[in-house]
Amino acid sequence: MADRKRDLLSGIHDGFPIFLGYFTTALAFGLLTRTSGFRFVEGVLVSMTSFAGSGQFLMMNLYNAGSLLLEIALSVFFINSRYIFMAASLAPRLKDPRSVPGRIMCGFGTTDEVFAVSSFKGQALTYSYMAGLIFTSYSGWVSGTALGYVAGTFLPSVVQKAAVITVYAMFASLLGSETGKHVKAIAVAAVSAALNSILILLMGVSTGVSFLISLIAATLFGAVIYTDKEAGIE
Amino acid sequence: MNKLLLIAVCSAVTLLPRIIPYFASSFLMRLPRFVRKCMMLLPVASLGALIFPLALTDFGPQWYAGLVGVIAAFLTSLLKGPMILAIVIALVSTTLMLLI
Repeated sequence: MADRKRDLLSGIHDGFPIFLGYFTTALAFGLLTRTSGFRFVEGVLVSMTSFAGSGQFLMMNLYNAGSLLLEIALSVFFINSRYIFMAASLAPRLKDPRSVPGRIMCGFGTTDEVFAVSSFKGQALTYSYMAGLIFTSYSGWVSGTALGYVAGTFLPSVVQKAAVITVYAMFASLLGSETGKHVKAIAVAAVSAALNSILILLMGVSTGVSFLISLIAATLFGAVIYTDKEAGIE
Repeated sequence: MNKLLLIAVCSAVTLLPRIIPYFASSFLMRLPRFVRKCMMLLPVASLGALIFPLALTDFGPQWYAGLVGVIAAFLTSLLKGPMILAIVIALVSTTLMLLI
């Protein structure tokens, strides 16, 4: 019992930096759902039921661009397909790999940041620890979305218009730190940026289809120029 | 489009790829190396297409305001600044460009 409490507190402790990052990013997401014509309950529901940064922003972008439901579903699935491998690599590290509710909880909470923090924990992962980590992160994501939706009203119109940039700033920030780690990241991103721009602006391809084509082409390009070690597989 | 249906579908295509592997991990680790490598590179590959061209077209004739914000956020994080700082700097510089 004391072990459980200690693990839970340890998870909450490790989850706090994720809480801060998620809260601020979710503020932008909450505002985006508002400007996209979602009601408060609908905006918060997206964050409660998906709990995925890039996937949710992608969903809203494609929705705003007038994409079809199938295009949105496929694109969101593709951008989330990396989680298959993160989840597959965390699964053998669980201390009790048989608990069904425990595995569902871990699956629900396997975001990029939760994956990274728990991967570097360097010990068997208990469900108490994972519960602390996941629900601390989750509360930041959901409460940030709610506040972002509500606080959007108090911002002057020029700031509301400029707030559109927060989404892209988050992606550009992720790209900046990736480029800091591996300079090849900018080359891979440049391929998808150029291809996506050409397909949409010059060839009139729909946003969802264009995104999928650009994503796959740039991924294959990346798989060629990255070594296995740089890509993070042993 | 029905928003609740959209939310439910997006939840399914987000949560299923995360939950199912916890029940099928031995199968996934046997997939070809190249396939696993591609999965690890998808996030980086997605970033370029997530930013362009929508970060420019969202601002219409003031497309340069979006471009300045994106560059500001990129540089902030390249220089090891935290994400929240990158977002704030981008927000300020885009606002200034819109006011010019």
